[in-house]
Amino acid sequence: MITDDLQDQAALFVLGALNPEENATFEKMLAADPELRAMVRELREAAADLGGSVPAHEPPADLKRRVLREIALEKQTGIARGSTTPSFSSWMPWAAAALFLISCGILAVDRMRLQRELAEARATDPLSQATLVTLGSPNGEHPDAKVTIAWQPDRQSGVININKMPPAGPGRDYQLWAVDANHKDPINAGIVHVDSNGVAHIRFKPDQEVTQIRAFAISLEREGGVPKREGPIVMIGNA
Amino acid sequence: MAETQEELDQEMLAQSASGDQRAFARLYDRLSGPLYSLALRMLGDASEAQDALQDVFLQIWRRAAKYDSAQSSVFSWAMLMARSRVIDRLRARGRRLRVLVSSSDDDPNGPMADASVAESATDTINRNDEAMRVRTMLNKLPAEQRQAIELAFFSDLTHHEIAAQLSQPLGTIKARIRRGLLNLRERGVR
Repeated sequence: MITDDLQDQAALFVLGALNPEENATFEKMLAADPELRAMVRELREAAADLGGSVPAHEPPADLKRRVLREIALEKQTGIARGSTTPSFSSWMPWAAAALFLISCGILAVDRMRLQRELAEARATDPLSQATLVTLGSPNGEHPDAKVTIAWQPDRQSGVININKMPPAGPGRDYQLWAVDANHKDPINAGIVHVDSNGVAHIRFKPDQEVTQIRAFAISLEREGGVPKREGPIVMIGNA
Repeated sequence: MAETQEELDQEMLAQSASGDQRAFARLYDRLSGPLYSLALRMLGDASEAQDALQDVFLQIWRRAAKYDSAQSSVFSWAMLMARSRVIDRLRARGRRLRVLVSSSDDDPNGPMADASVAESATDTINRNDEAMRVRTMLNKLPAEQRQAIELAFFSDLTHHEIAAQLSQPLGTIKARIRRGLLNLRERGVR
């Protein structure tokens, strides 16, 4: 017998409306109660039906090609993930943070391997002319975080993959910046939302043209982001 | 050999999980319309809805291996994932969506039907039939239940905010959401 109160919780759980504490408690109950699991499944189907009740529209035809291209690109990113790090650049002061990162031995440098893998990937997929960048924590604050960027200069856009990054916290957002040799200030590349599992996979597009990418960096900013960096750099990597 | 739509969906997802991009392309064909329609309805912006759809399909690709048929159908799994991503976007931009609570206000030929959005006529008509069927079911729900579940599903409002907006106690709102969803299910939607 599922009480009304538990049914209320189940409906809110399905809609993602429980707070993290309530959610964790409910998931424990769910794991132990097959009747509750069956009910949650029914509620999920009902909720999804609501989503299907809106007037039908078709996405543009080229979106499918974009999605499939992203997947091909991601496969390549996956190959390089965890095996590469940025190299030192004389660009300051951002590069100084990256130098500190490397000197601390947080990540091992394997630039040649990255270049070989990139060359192989490009040979097999002419569509992908991406620059792969791995970011690390300059102050060692997030040693487990894995952040990889695949940057496509021809499209002026990229994909950022983040794992094991703690959420930014209340009233704060992570913001991505592209450091360009021909711009005085880092170029805003948008807010990066990390989910409760520390994961983000986002397509980004800097709001100005990037002509000569030097590095990517993530700073911790106030919620909603800022036009010019204010907060501390939490992740950085040279291109 | 898969026979039902759900079996076909599961087969395509399983193949996608093993890296089959052709299967994933077929899954895209199957799901992109409903997911895009939801994103467009919630975001009210075709460009942003397209970005959201792209995010969702990348997420589907990455999480395909984690799909559990005991928890939901493939359609529901994808639809709720799409809703979650769209709500992330709504919250990120700090926008509060003005939800049209009255289902009769939904007009397929209204502002949402942006001429720039290419449409596949047959698929769209079929889905509009399905959408109409669900909306008929919705309209049979008590108004307060329909209002509560539509606000809870299509907006980024928390249940606390819904309670405040509707000037109702939180417990009442929770019960309406629950009863609305259960009634919808019992009335034979899918």
